[in-house]
Parts: sequence; structure tokens; C-alpha cells
Amino acid sequence: MTTTAPLLDVAHLTLTIGTAGRRVVDDVSFQVFPGEIVGIVGESGSGKTLAARAVMGFVPPAVRLAGGSIRFEGRDVMAMSGKELRAMRGAKVGMVFQEPMTSLNPSMLIGRQLDEGLALHRGLDAPARRALILDMLERVGIRDPEGALDAYPHQFSGGMRQRIMLASVMLLKPALLLADEPTTALDAVVQRDVMELMVELTQANDTAVLLISHDLGMVARYCSRIVVMCRGEVVEQGTAEDILARPRHPYTRKLLAAMPQRLPARFLPQGETPIVAVRDLVVDYPGRQGFFRRSAPKRALHGISIAVQPGEVVAVVGGSGSGKTTLGQSIAGLVKPAGGEILFNGKPIAKSDTAYWDYRLNCQMVFQDPYSSLDPRMTIRQLVGEPLRLVEDMDASARQARIAEVLAEVGLSDGFAERFPHELSGGQRQRVAIARAIVRRPSFVIADEPVSALDVTVRAQVLALFDELQKKHGFSCLFISHDLGVVEQVADRVVVMQDGRIVEEGPRDAIFDAPRHPYTRKLLSAVPGLEATGDGGVRLFWRLGEGEATAPA
Amino acid sequence: MSSDSTVSAGGAMKRDRRMKLPAPNALVGGTLIAILLAAAGTGALWTPYDPLKLSFREKLAAPSALHWLGTDEFGRDVLSRLMAGAATSVWISILTVTLAVVMGTAIGLVSGYLRGWADRVIMAFNDALLAFPGILLALGLLAVLGANKYGIIVALGIAYTPSVARVVRGTVLSLREREFIAASRVMGNGEGFTMLRHILPNCIAPLTVLATSMFGYVLLAESALSFLGLGVPPPAPTWGNMLAGSRPYIDQAAWLGIFPGLCISLTLLGINLLGDALRDKLDPRMRGAR
Repeated sequence: MTTTAPLLDVAHLTLTIGTAGRRVVDDVSFQVFPGEIVGIVGESGSGKTLAARAVMGFVPPAVRLAGGSIRFEGRDVMAMSGKELRAMRGAKVGMVFQEPMTSLNPSMLIGRQLDEGLALHRGLDAPARRALILDMLERVGIRDPEGALDAYPHQFSGGMRQRIMLASVMLLKPALLLADEPTTALDAVVQRDVMELMVELTQANDTAVLLISHDLGMVARYCSRIVVMCRGEVVEQGTAEDILARPRHPYTRKLLAAMPQRLPARFLPQGETPIVAVRDLVVDYPGRQGFFRRSAPKRALHGISIAVQPGEVVAVVGGSGSGKTTLGQSIAGLVKPAGGEILFNGKPIAKSDTAYWDYRLNCQMVFQDPYSSLDPRMTIRQLVGEPLRLVEDMDASARQARIAEVLAEVGLSDGFAERFPHELSGGQRQRVAIARAIVRRPSFVIADEPVSALDVTVRAQVLALFDELQKKHGFSCLFISHDLGVVEQVADRVVVMQDGRIVEEGPRDAIFDAPRHPYTRKLLSAVPGLEATGDGGVRLFWRLGEGEATAPA
Repeated sequence: MSSDSTVSAGGAMKRDRRMKLPAPNALVGGTLIAILLAAAGTGALWTPYDPLKLSFREKLAAPSALHWLGTDEFGRDVLSRLMAGAATSVWISILTVTLAVVMGTAIGLVSGYLRGWADRVIMAFNDALLAFPGILLALGLLAVLGANKYGIIVALGIAYTPSVARVVRGTVLSLREREFIAASRVMGNGEGFTMLRHILPNCIAPLTVLATSMFGYVLLAESALSFLGLGVPPPAPTWGNMLAGSRPYIDQAAWLGIFPGLCISLTLLGINLLGDALRDKLDPRMRGAR
């Protein structure tokens, strides 16, 4: 492979931002050979997206080229005229973006959007283009290609849109495909389908792929070579096996160590009264309301029963739309159930005010998005102290002492108390959210995707913190997540949900090692597992046989 | 690409300058408003001449060292009248905006928080009021309330309440969906507490921007009403009635119309520039950017 000339040759690329000339991409070199899949891995701010976009000549206006070169098929991209760049984009280099919801024009028919590129770059007549489009839509797994031509993007799910996006790019048979986090916005189950489709299509056309992702596991699974970036620099690059098994740079080791791994199962005394028990919980969402008509309510939960023992971490997993978030919200009292009851320490909370208040003070929640779960106008001290307002017999000095104690527990003791949320990073904000949840020393915490908005290494730290606090204070936890890796690390017991129903539940090891329900198997087959090899490297494996890779939904 | 990089260099410089110095619109707007407030403050306490004192010997005198901006048809000093008028106009505008903001915020908060039928009824009524041009509504109300200082304040206050209510309701509706409101409920906070502690403070940024631009509208509306003879009754000076009074003498004493007109224009310019600058500064999207 190395005997042929590289398709893309990025050499010593340096991009700066602002007049101060801060280097956001610093001396980056890598090559992509024809037909090869290369991954760029890094966390947010690593410059991976900027470096890849520069290949197409797409850089934000404030960013300047300070040095180096990008050669595509031997020609310098940076020296190309606007016309040459336009001829290269689409025809030679295609791009798939992260957000399938916004990368298709919502007011244009799918057929016209797909036709646009073809008409521009290929001198074909309309019937020939139509035939090509239909053929491509069928190949990406769209059920009714004829019908899809006259449909709008909103009529398709996220996964389907990403397939259509892929179709529109691959129609032009580019020599290089840039895929910027192509599956990050998708469900775990759909992620693997879209990735496999992408690999299959590009291999068939001999298209090289530059895959940009924060997900080392996913990149390692599909790429032959990996470039690891950190703060604008390439810290390490090599074959996928080398990077995984024999990481040399400390940052790569850190990334690998941050990937969730299973810890030995804990022994928890069973048979006591569950701290929280839910019986036959039914939740309906009201239908669309107009002035004169009201459509039928939509049932989100069909009679869920679940029990959480003292000190136990129960994970609820499922794809989007499975009802896992609704379950968390109704247990937290944010959504009014249409039926069923919630018992706290064996007492139904709806029956008496004292039982309700006992529950209210003892049940707390950590939300997914650290950017919207903290009131932007309050300081960290005010935010963390707010739940204490409702605690009786606690004087001001005891409150301040508790706030300081909790902030220290989450590692935010020095000078963070008087800051505002926007002065904090995502990981620090999530620590504040955790501090707020545990400041009242609750016996039950609901965590709704608490780490899914965070970067890989930060995620590992926050998860470790959460785990430590859970063990220290012994609160029970309902841990809602779509990320099976995270669940495998923290859960004692796992509940799998699909379409508002529980399809399987059991101890973590049983679910992960011997799943019975087809949906659980499908979920597990979508995520690679990891095994530490002892010397800082990891081994990657698919949990279930390759043959179980799922067909398009 | 070479042309691209020069353009981006310009963009980068512009962004950097805005970080260091106050934006030019804030600077110019702030200066103009500072001058207005200084003039109004001084005018309320002291003016070079008594703004009401008649002096027929000096009537329609051109600007001179004695009377910097000349005198009007009754020989009253224009500068003194402009300063006294500024005091009246600013005071009326401040009270009006305060009234509109207080009423509008209360209506918007309740409407946005209750939702459902209460929201629909309140907003239908609100939108009906919003359908009338503010000045027309104020005219109608003035006919009922009587043309005096307090009549104007109440009439304009009511006329501008619906737009405040709209803005506050919109903000409340978007805030309600944020997770920190859910967090407040999970904590066990009551609805009223959540509203005052978490929702109201987060409405302040859009309200500040709105109130600033509204201050300008009210000043203009008050001048327009005075111009029509429905404002503060003569002989008390306001910019509007000074402008109205200058009309018959436009060919002999142009300064009579030019100076009040200039005052109104510059004040509005200042307010609009300051409003723009405030919006840039307080817009949560700009604030959250890191």
C-alpha cells in the first residue's frame, strides 16, 4: 500500500486563530492512501475537526493558515482557486456531518437534494440521474426509494437521514470521504448499522475514509490506521493494533484507561424492603391540543415495575424512545403517572403528605446536560446550597459547613464557590450538579445520562467520582444510560427497556454475558467490549458473534 | 484561498478589538444618553433662565451669546426650555417604562407559568391590545384619562405593556424546559419559589434590552402626543410641544424647530445604539460562548 502515492498528504499543517496567533492545529502531518480508512481521535478542542475541514478548504473566518501544506492527489489544496475548490468538493471529496437533523435542507425534497450534486458534477441527463439515485437509496437500505424521492427529511429518523446523507455523498463516488462524528448523534443500535454501511459502500467504491471521532473503540474497530490528537498536536499515530495494544504516548494511555471497564461484581444484601419500588407505572403523554380537538394521548410507559434495594445501582438501558428517561422523570415526580404507584421505604408516596415529603427530600436527580441544569445566574455556593433551604433544623453555619464539605467531596473546594456556571468546564459543572444532588444526603439518586455530554477522559473522572460517592454514602441509584460501556462499569443490576416496556432485567454479569432477549442482544452487539491487557494496552472484542450484526431497522 | 485568508484576518481583528474596547455603538450611544441624563438632571433643578418667563422684547431672537439657542415667540429662552423639557420627558419615560415592565412582567410570568387555558385567555387579550399601534391606543386612553402628565404615563404604560408581556412569556416558556427548572422541582421547591428564584432573574437580560429600546419609543410617543396637543399642557415645556409651537415660525426662526428636533433625533439614536450594545452583551448565546 505504501508503494502508491498518498491520496491525501497533510504535512506540518499549522492553523492559528485570532491576532495573537494561538495555534489550534500545530504541525499536524498525516497521510491517507487510496481506499484506506484512517481515524482521527481526540477530545473536544483537540483540533481534529478543524484539521479535517481544512482538507476541503472549509475553515472558519477567524482561522488562518500559518504553515504546512495539504496535498490532495498531489495538488496543493491551499493554493486552489475558488473554482477549483468547488470542483473538488463533492466530486472528489465528500463529507458526512455529525448532525443528521441539520445537514439536510428541511425544505427540499430528498430527490432534489440528491440530484443537486449529481447535476452539478456529472454531465448526465435527468433519467440517468434518477436511476442512479434510486439504486443508491436502495443500497443504503431505504425501503421505498421511489417514495423517498418525494419525501422531506423530517419524515425520516436520524439513522435514516444519515443513510440518505451517505447516499448523497457516495452518489458522486468521491475518492475521499470525510466523516466527522458520523454516528455520534445516533442511537447505539443504529450507530453500528450506519458505520457498517459506510464501510461497505466506501470499500465497494474504493473510497478512502477519514473518520473523525472521539470514540476510540469505534475508530479502532473500523480503521486501519489511527491518528491521536491532543490540543492541536498529533501525539501518536500508527496502525490500529499498535495504538490499542502498545500505546506509547501518555495521552493515548489515558484515553485507553478512560474507556469503561467492568469491575468485579459487588455483594449486596438482598431481601430487605426496597428503598424505592415502582408498581405498574403507566405514563401517557397528552396528544396535540388544538382549540377544538385533541388527539389521543400517547402511552410512553406500559406498566413498569421496578425495585431498587438499599445501596444498589440499577441501570436502565435502551435506545431513544424506549421510555427510560420518562421512567426516571416520573419516579422523580416530574411527570405525573396515569397509573401505578411509587413506594418509598415500603410506603406509597401518593397516600400521605408526610410520606411524600419524606420521599421528596430523599430523592434527588442528576441531569444529562450540565449546561442547562444549572441556573446561570446563581453562584456555585448558591446552587449547591439551595436544596438545604428545605432541610429543617439546620442553621446557617451548619449549611455553609455542609456546602464546603460537599464541594470538597466533588473536588471543587478551592475558590469555586463564588464562581458562576459559565466559568466552569462541562466536567466541573457536572460535579456541581452531583454536589447539588447529594448535599441533602439523599438515600436515592436518579442519574439521567449523567456523563453522556462529557468528553471521554472527563467522563471517566466524573464516573469514578460518582462511583466513589455512591460507595461512601451508600445511596441507591437509578442510572439511566444508553451507553452500555458506562453501565457495565457502574451497575449492579441492569434493566433493559424497549418501547415503554421492560424486556429483560437481571444482575449485570448475567445481562452482559448471557443476554436472552433479542433486543438486549442487539444492543450489546452494537458496542465493542474492551479488555485491559495489563501493560496499558487494551484488546477489543465484539460481545456477540459477527453474524449477529443487525439488519437495517 | 489567498483572498479568503485576508478576509479572515480582517474578521479576526474586528473580533479582537471588540473584546478590548467597548463597542463603538456602546460608546456613542452611552455618551449621547449620558448627555441627555445630565441635561435632564440639571434641567430639573436649574436652567439658565426661567423656562416660563415671558419677555416680549426679546421674542424670536436668533441664537446669541445671551441666549445660546435663541428665544421663542414669547421671548422664552430655548435652551432653558429644552433642559426643562428634557427633565419632564425623561421622567415621564422612566415612569412609563417602569409601569409597562412591572405590569408586563407580571402578566407574562403568570401566563407563561400557568399555560393551558389561562395562558390562552390572557394572551388572546394581550394580542388584541398588541394589534393596535401603541400611539393609537395611547390616544384613545388619553381621551378617557385626560391630557396631563399622569394621564400620559398611564396611557403609554398600558399601551406598551402587551409587548413586555409577550417577551416575558416567551422567555418563561423557553426557560421552563431547561433542566434547572426540573432540578428545582426535584429539590422540592414550590412553583412560586421556582418562578421568583429561577425564572424571573433569567428574564432580566431580555427585559433590559427591551426596556432600553422602549424608553426611546416612549420618548418619541410622548413627543408625538405633545405635538398633537394631547401631551403635557402648555406652558410647561416638552420637546414635543416646543416642536409643535415652532411650526408657524419655521420661515422666520428655524432654530425653534431645529433644536427640539435635533434633541429628539440624537436621543433616539443614542438609545438605539445603546440598546444594540446591550443586546450584544446580554444575549445568553454570546455570554455562554467560551
